[in-house]
Amino acid sequence: MHLVADVLDQQVLDKTGKRAGRVDGIVLEVREGKPPLITHVEVSPITLLARLNRRLAERYARWDQRLGKGRGVPFRIPWSRLEQTGKAWRFDTDAEDTPILALEDWLRVKIVERIPGG
Amino acid sequence: MKKIFQIALGIVTSVGGFLEIGSITTAAQAGASFGYQLVWSIVLGTACVAFLVEMSGRFAAVSKHTIPDAMRERFGINFYVVPLFVLLGVSLLVLGAELGGVAAALEMATGIKLPIWAIPVALVSWGLLWRASFSVIENGVSILGLVTVAFAVGAVRLHPDYGAVLHGVVPTLPRRDASHYWFVAVSVLGASISPYLYYFYSSGAIEEKWDETYLAANRMIAAIGMGFGGFLSVAVLVIAAILFHPHNIDVDKYQQLPDLLTPIFGRTGFWLVIASLVIACLGATLEISLALAYLIAQGLGWNWGEDLEPRDDARFSLTYTLIVVAAMLFVLIGLDPLKLTEISMALTAASLPVGVFPFLILMNDKKYLQTHTNGYIGNAVVLVISLISAVLAIVSIPLEIVGS
Repeated sequence: MHLVADVLDQQVLDKTGKRAGRVDGIVLEVREGKPPLITHVEVSPITLLARLNRRLAERYARWDQRLGKGRGVPFRIPWSRLEQTGKAWRFDTDAEDTPILALEDWLRVKIVERIPGG
Repeated sequence: MKKIFQIALGIVTSVGGFLEIGSITTAAQAGASFGYQLVWSIVLGTACVAFLVEMSGRFAAVSKHTIPDAMRERFGINFYVVPLFVLLGVSLLVLGAELGGVAAALEMATGIKLPIWAIPVALVSWGLLWRASFSVIENGVSILGLVTVAFAVGAVRLHPDYGAVLHGVVPTLPRRDASHYWFVAVSVLGASISPYLYYFYSSGAIEEKWDETYLAANRMIAAIGMGFGGFLSVAVLVIAAILFHPHNIDVDKYQQLPDLLTPIFGRTGFWLVIASLVIACLGATLEISLALAYLIAQGLGWNWGEDLEPRDDARFSLTYTLIVVAAMLFVLIGLDPLKLTEISMALTAASLPVGVFPFLILMNDKKYLQTHTNGYIGNAVVLVISLISAVLAIVSIPLEIVGS
């Protein structure tokens, strides 16, 4: 497997098969005398923005922090909980219970469901 | 039987969806200013878009990926943001022109000023996106778009010199007004080869769950549908060449567009042009809004789908909502749709390689297409035409601005 070709930027699916963002970053543990080990992948606008512009990422993180406990830092999925299906990566949780869909849920409740037909 | 119906439907929708404000006005301008001489630009543009659409459908059917989807995967976010922002910028202008086209037609029909129509037209477009399913949008609007066949009937009724039209298929150097000639050629190319069209097509194929059994149907739809669409553009050019060119009338106001058919069909002709503009531009409005929302949602891995309820893909639905609002502002502040069309079509041509090059790399990648990668001819046609268009655009846009 090639980390950049087969993991980074690939689609993430949740337990129910719903699209739940993309692999925005990979967390490696550097071990002395042994090859590095993948511990987590990150699915987060903070990680994504950091790849484009660090300052933009910091600003987004500060804003995100206000949304509650555990926010303001990139959301991580342990590598052991991911399984490759086709080119995508499926993890064993419902994305509704993670910060990945927090913005989606907030927009649904605060805006979409208040618009007729939404 | 079901396949035959689908092929027929696909062809009908491609034909009905081909003409929009860009192709109608640029073809009319080409015919009015240069007679049959610029037919080649429609032929080249149509050939290129037919190849691109075929590739796009094949890509989705074989790889089960949309183009934006694969582009983010294959090239990463640092590359993806380039086509994302270029396509967003250019297509928003095109979208403004399409919304303006609907508003302009309604102004000509009712006498009520164009900017007043901005909000109602945007509301109707948004309402259709919000509530209607993908097939209603794709098939319904495009079948109504067959009203544009009136241009072909009109052209035949004028008994054009078919030999002279055929002569125009071969590119020739301008006999006068060189910078304007190339600018109009570029606008025609930009109007035919709209990136939103082939990007949208791959998402459509995924929405309709295509697989490899659709490859033959896909080829026929692309060739026949786009071919007939290009034929309609040529018809518009022929009409303008016969009615406007001998009298040195240039097309520089959208109010001149009904003059394409009124001399042929009388009052009915006026209404045919109005109906063509309303339906064709509305259809394009819906397609572009969706195409841009797909581009953002798929690049970021959001849930997306025109057949989902808005509550099930809140970010996707709100994205196209914002896109329609942004385009509405162009019309609301009173920008002339014809000027917006000219600029946005030329910019489309200038930016073609940004969308086309990475797409061609994907089309030659066995990881996605296995044994169905591009042949030499497809690669060459698309590469050469998009490069020529971009170079011509980059040279002729400044000249046109200086000239006017």
